[in-house]
Amino acid sequence: MPFLALLAVIGPGVIAASAGNDAGGISTYSVAGARYGYTMLWMMLAITPSFIIVQEMAGRMGAATGKGFAALIRERFGLRPTFYAMLMLFASTAATTVAEFAGIAAAMELFGVSRFVSVPIAAIVVWLLVVRGSYRSIEKVLLGLSSVFIAYVIAAFLARPDWGEVGRSFITPHVIPDRAFIALSIGIAGTTIAPWMQFLLQSNIVDKGTTMKEWALARWDVMVGAAAANVIACFIIITTAAVLHPAGISVESASDAAQALAPLAGPYAEMLFAIGLLSASVLAAAVLPLTASYAVCEAFGWESGLDRSWSEAPLFNGLYTFVILASAAVILLPGLNLIAIMLVSQVINGVLLPFLLIFMMIIINDHRIMGRHVNNRVNNVLSWSTIAVVIALTAALTGMTVLGIG
Amino acid sequence: MFYLTRMLGRPVVDAAGEVIGEISDVAIATGEVFPRVTSLAFLGPTKTPFMLSWRKYVSTIDDEQVVLNAERPDLRFSYLQPDEVLLARDLLNKQIVDTQGMKVVRVNDLKVSESRGQLRLLGAEVGVRGILRGLHPSIERVAAAATRLLGRELPENLIAWNYMDLLDRDLSHVRLSVTHKRLHELHPADVADVLEQLTPTQRARVFEHLDNAQAALTVAELEDEFQADVIDDLGSQRASDILEMMDPDDAADIIGDLPYDKAEALLHLMGVQEASAVRSLLGYKEKTAGGIMTPEVTTVTDDMTVQQVIDYLRTGAAEHESIYYIYVVEGDRLEGVISLRDLVISEPSTPVADLVDRDVITVGPDDDQEDVAETMSKYDLLALPVVDETGKLVGIVTVDDALEVMEEESAEDLALATGSAREYGPLASMGWWLVRRSAWVAIWALTVSGYVTLASWARGVAARTFDFLIPVPPLGHLSIAGLELVAYAIVLLPVVLRATEEVSSRSLAELIGGVDADERPGVMRVLLRESLLGSGLGLATGLLAFGYAALVRGGTEGPVPLALGLATAAAVLVAVLASAGLGEAAWRRSAAGKRVSGTGLPIVAMLIGTVLYLAFTYWAGILSLPVG
Repeated sequence: MPFLALLAVIGPGVIAASAGNDAGGISTYSVAGARYGYTMLWMMLAITPSFIIVQEMAGRMGAATGKGFAALIRERFGLRPTFYAMLMLFASTAATTVAEFAGIAAAMELFGVSRFVSVPIAAIVVWLLVVRGSYRSIEKVLLGLSSVFIAYVIAAFLARPDWGEVGRSFITPHVIPDRAFIALSIGIAGTTIAPWMQFLLQSNIVDKGTTMKEWALARWDVMVGAAAANVIACFIIITTAAVLHPAGISVESASDAAQALAPLAGPYAEMLFAIGLLSASVLAAAVLPLTASYAVCEAFGWESGLDRSWSEAPLFNGLYTFVILASAAVILLPGLNLIAIMLVSQVINGVLLPFLLIFMMIIINDHRIMGRHVNNRVNNVLSWSTIAVVIALTAALTGMTVLGIG
Repeated sequence: MFYLTRMLGRPVVDAAGEVIGEISDVAIATGEVFPRVTSLAFLGPTKTPFMLSWRKYVSTIDDEQVVLNAERPDLRFSYLQPDEVLLARDLLNKQIVDTQGMKVVRVNDLKVSESRGQLRLLGAEVGVRGILRGLHPSIERVAAAATRLLGRELPENLIAWNYMDLLDRDLSHVRLSVTHKRLHELHPADVADVLEQLTPTQRARVFEHLDNAQAALTVAELEDEFQADVIDDLGSQRASDILEMMDPDDAADIIGDLPYDKAEALLHLMGVQEASAVRSLLGYKEKTAGGIMTPEVTTVTDDMTVQQVIDYLRTGAAEHESIYYIYVVEGDRLEGVISLRDLVISEPSTPVADLVDRDVITVGPDDDQEDVAETMSKYDLLALPVVDETGKLVGIVTVDDALEVMEEESAEDLALATGSAREYGPLASMGWWLVRRSAWVAIWALTVSGYVTLASWARGVAARTFDFLIPVPPLGHLSIAGLELVAYAIVLLPVVLRATEEVSSRSLAELIGGVDADERPGVMRVLLRESLLGSGLGLATGLLAFGYAALVRGGTEGPVPLALGLATAAAVLVAVLASAGLGEAAWRRSAAGKRVSGTGLPIVAMLIGTVLYLAFTYWAGILSLPVG
């Protein structure tokens, strides 16, 4: 019975977390493994508890208040802080959507299609998916297709890594003091605990009408989903570290990244990688602009909903349309390195993450909002340390860039 | 005139001129249309909250401070009364229901004004103006000045207190004026509209205030996708009570959408009679006569008199959904029909047999709902009996259900035709929205050139900042040439779109005008006509493009202006021909009796034009500029 009940609540958490292993995620983890071997694995171990806890907090806020994250920010902090929060969310989503279109372009280029053909078509397809609300019906298909990334788990074993070294890397913190390493660390934080993911998860919990009573079960979905997503992420790093790092391939294109799957798929590695990348990117490119649009309208009290027309909800429809079209337009700029775009977007997410987490921490510790469901000490310590570490990393990166070190 | 956001944080000064705290909130009396401010809440030193009676202690208020008429030791603090509402705590930044506009909105600010020594709440600001002022008063001033320059006024969107209903605070125990309109007092159709804008938790709270009869009417008015959710979220007892009060056909629709266990549980809790009526309907397929009919039929036998029938209507049939027609049956079999009108104007003693019309229009339970609705509209019926193959009367379809079907079907047909999922969806309305704006060509050109400049600047910065991560390759000469032309093409895109839109809307006019097949010119004639027109338009736009490129590059020298002009002319010609072909196809479709959408045609034509134009210019760019 408990197992069946658990199956029944599986949904928002698993979906939100798997959507996190998108174009930005795959490329960040691949670059991390290819460049630094197993060195960054300890970071994954360190960040997983924070990720689980942040996801749990977002879900709990939704279940306890029945309101979205943006609404809570507005009601707790007032107009001006909300404006800044929404600006950050918007920047995070826009940057990630750009990365998704980069993912689409990269995947289609593996199939031999020029980005100047694939991206405009993808923009129209994604926009239609959103407008018609039909992404919900193909959500499962795309999720299923993007789960080909589970292939990394098998590929990791086939690549015969030195498991002893893998294990040691998980528990030995090691920092390389150069800008690329620090930027990549921020990127890993940003892609694992993406700010937009908390908005998406919380609004899914609210829309499902989950109450605190049902939360006892639903939280497992959220936490298991988060943990599972990170296990896959770890295997991506292990595979790329075992296959690409010794060969001296630093991932500069999707084709490089795809080679990591060669031990498993041989000549079909590129195809396998492209299918996964394409479906993960299309799904996220549809979900992300919509998430931002809903959140911004919720915060400012503008009419929203896919069943509202342009004259009824001009800002809602305008926002996601703008994000989709502008993001696609960025990819059409000549001479872009797609992998670099995906990486940079995750660094942006990482830089913005701590500030949105601060909003979350203040809300979730407010008795008037959360009642007796406020955070316990473990949650608080872990989350505040995450915030502090990411801010410190950002400060270090900025300092090194300004001073020209590394 | 004061705004709450500007009052908060102002110092509170006592009669001795000493600052004793800062304003944290003000409370209003709730029973008036423009409620008086009754209390002042402020935070003393060390953030201790205090409350004072406004009437007793406040002497003056201005933009700088609130001055009290007593000294600190003489102040007697008060407590928040149960019927007071705090503006900052209960209203500011919160969602409220605008019961006049039937919308859920968020309060950006509250406007209060002073009249005869009293401060009164004028209303809640819910418009953009309040947001701008909240960000910074100077932003509001700039925006207001900018809109005035365009000949418009930046509107202030105020909702008066008596048209507000709060979602987070329950007003039922608060004294309100008689004119105060709360959400649950609205028409059920309006309540349903508002409910659709709320989250499940908020919806549940509103339902607590509706009695079962109101709730039943409201649920019936909700869109299908919300109905099952709402019932599912209510407690089983309440849900079954509400379903019992609904018309059986509506109730069956909802129960059919619930998970099996929940549906069975609710049916068990419902009264025997209602549950069996619903069960009898659950067997029919959706979107058929059986799926939308109600089993509550008013039946009589032909041996009754008019008086007996009227008596029966008053007693036995008072609950039925429709009594405009009374059906005459023999056993289960439908024999004839009498209208309420015949009944009312006849002598009470007239036997039913004298009035009955035996030529009844009926449908079968498996007939498509669209056919049913069409039959009803054709014969102007208020209800239509559903009869199974044995001649047994199983129910009637009432006019409200038929209207709903027609609405649904027309939306579906439009969706099929335009590829949009709903009537006047964003796809359609954005098309018109774009076309309507006459200034959009200029705005478009500005946006695109701005975007290109900004983007290449951002690209440069990103390349310099992140080059340590992954090196950014330099641009090839070839792609620069191709893309320069594409950038020009994007700026000129509206011109091509205008041309295609013109042609397709003419085809559309022919369609709507219903030109007969023999009056229409043949395909070849049409093609000739359009290719003439296309060449003319192409030449004109090509010249325009040539001129534009020459202007931008500062001369007609070099291959770019020529290439752009030729590519533009070719794109317009092909696009015009393609739209003419589309128009022809649409006309044939409509001649074959199929529905054709009015908005899909121009949009598809415009899309074709865009793709052609960009592709042509890119090629032209690559061909015209040799690598080197």
